[in-house]
Amino acid sequence: MSNLDKPVNAAQVPDEQGLIAMSRANDIRKLAISSGVDVVGIAPVERWDEFVPPGSRPYDILPGAKSVVVVGVRGPSAGAWQSPDHRLIEMNGYDFANDRVIHQVADHIEQEYGYHAIQAPGLPVGGHQPAFSMMLAAVLAGLGTRSFAANIILNPKYGLLYYSACLTTLELPVDPMLEQDVCPAPMCVQVYKAGGRTPCQAACPSDEGGCLHGTIGPDNRIESTYYDRERCVSRAMNFGINSFQKALEQIANEDDDDRRTMMIHSDFFTRSTSGIAFYKESVAQCFECMRVCPIGRAERKLK
Amino acid sequence: MSAADLDLMKAQKLELGELAKKAGALVFGVADANAFASAMEGQRPTELLPGCKTVFVLGGAQPRAGDWHSPSYRHMETTSTSDRVTAMGNRIAQHIERRFGYYAVTIPPGVDRARRPFLNIALAAELAGCGSPSLAGPLLHPEFGFMYYTAVLTTLPLPVDGPLTTPACPAPECVAMWDEMGTTPCMATCPIDDGGCLGGSLEDGHVKERRYDVARCTTRVQTSFIPGFQKALEAVFEEPEKEKRKMILYSSQFTRTLWSMSYSNVSQGQCFECMRVCPVGSKHRNLL
Amino acid sequence: MGFYFVDPELYRKYKDQVLSMSQAIQINYPEHLPPEKRQPGFSDRQIAENLGIEERVVREIRCVAERDYYPVDEWERALEFKDRACKGYAENGVAYATKKYIDRAKAAKASGTD
Repeated sequence: MSNLDKPVNAAQVPDEQGLIAMSRANDIRKLAISSGVDVVGIAPVERWDEFVPPGSRPYDILPGAKSVVVVGVRGPSAGAWQSPDHRLIEMNGYDFANDRVIHQVADHIEQEYGYHAIQAPGLPVGGHQPAFSMMLAAVLAGLGTRSFAANIILNPKYGLLYYSACLTTLELPVDPMLEQDVCPAPMCVQVYKAGGRTPCQAACPSDEGGCLHGTIGPDNRIESTYYDRERCVSRAMNFGINSFQKALEQIANEDDDDRRTMMIHSDFFTRSTSGIAFYKESVAQCFECMRVCPIGRAERKLK
Repeated sequence: MSAADLDLMKAQKLELGELAKKAGALVFGVADANAFASAMEGQRPTELLPGCKTVFVLGGAQPRAGDWHSPSYRHMETTSTSDRVTAMGNRIAQHIERRFGYYAVTIPPGVDRARRPFLNIALAAELAGCGSPSLAGPLLHPEFGFMYYTAVLTTLPLPVDGPLTTPACPAPECVAMWDEMGTTPCMATCPIDDGGCLGGSLEDGHVKERRYDVARCTTRVQTSFIPGFQKALEAVFEEPEKEKRKMILYSSQFTRTLWSMSYSNVSQGQCFECMRVCPVGSKHRNLL
Repeated sequence: MGFYFVDPELYRKYKDQVLSMSQAIQINYPEHLPPEKRQPGFSDRQIAENLGIEERVVREIRCVAERDYYPVDEWERALEFKDRACKGYAENGVAYATKKYIDRAKAAKASGTD
């Protein structure tokens, strides 16, 4: 069933205002999908109250916000996943289509319907902390559920997606959150029972220098999770702002002129600087937990 | 392979070509993935995409005719971008995967370890018949001259084009100049024996010898970019005087470098002087 | 005066507490878990209220501490990890990662030590 075909509950036949709202929601979905995203979901702002402290909720960012429209898009091509050179997928993983489309959605809402709409802020504004979590937005808009793998939100069909959100004062009919957890997949439950680790935990185990750990309960649901975000940063942002700062510290502390020259012109520092300059080509730089994830793999199986 | 298979391949190539043109490409071509024998190890299509059959190459996103006419070299520094042509490549890759169901991956425009590209895109373009090598360095299309290229590796089998039989360089005007003066426009503009990057010789209307100073060219093509940044940083750390360090850090050169790095998508090439004087494709620059 | 940066002594004093309350290490984030089990991490404002220091100071300590968490060696190790994992998958699929754990569990079961 596509995003556009939402069943109407007979007990909730909408009135005229409701019909207008449904029509607008459908237009927004059609616009987003035809502009290049894979999924669209809509959540009411009240869902954030349970999960986010005051000051960081949608209506704190846009006063009067009623709805959050979330879009998701696939990242690397299936071909990029096939390459045995991990650097290829790292330079190919992100084309910002989700951001581009969310701007179109926001423009459409403001220009066609006359309500305030903004792109929810996605970039970190203090250290590694974003002003608004797209991952939580995706969960609350029914587009996926949180996984063992770096808390990545997995969509049942596509697996890993990149999300953007639009906050708006326009009240829209909303999507339910997913009832069925996407993670762990049945195959991962089997692997866990056989070896004590899911594939992603086996690929990047926190007790062996990696980032992930977790347990599955007797109900085959996630029972506990552990994610070392700071180690993950060294992998997912291998060359960029972080490595630039680390390397610069070492450079500045080096007293020997020649050694300092070697550091400045080193491949590591050159690639760190390139990572900042070519940020658009290389936003995400580690996919190893997702590489072994079975969710969405069918979509990546081509000829 | 049956006639039906061949017809299908031709139809798919045509469809991709139409999409490429619609996306803004000037030229496109297909190279055989197994034709990259001269490529460095690790830079062959089959090493990057297992099962790769063909390489779909697009060319375009040239500086505009008006750009070439500007007397400000600084203006040209902000016209160069592989961003646009890479975006076209991404569209092709997506189309191949979602419409035809074959693996496809666009070669990233940046560099990998030790400043090596993932794949020699110029070689890919040459093997796809989208241009031929020039004495100045960039690949030249016989009709349009200098342009940017992108390459999409794919497991989709397509009819291949193969290299051009007649090289675009040297152009007849360049051969005439060589016969008369012993140099060509690009070598005259940037002579390696006089502080520049290019040298060489022609014989019987072909390039016989080519000399190219990569390191010097880097100082020109990436004057205000990562290499320039690294050099300035080195100078800052070596400078014991605080006030002089400030002068370096606040200098127009260093500031310009930071701007170019931030806006890398529009400032990847910062010297076009050898291409400015190149006659190949120049007729398209003469507008009103 | 120059631009603001945190006093190193203040940093050393509060670094571990700020990090432990932040989202540096994320435990039990899935939304389906009961609220009493989830440990979502606190905002800078909440951490500041908890420690009795300014929010700006917390933010600055957190920013530096996040960067300081691992040495630059970890970035080099990241390259080795990804190279190994990507090539491993290309050669052996998921089994490159999971086989050793499954074999270990089987061996433990066989020896009666599980």
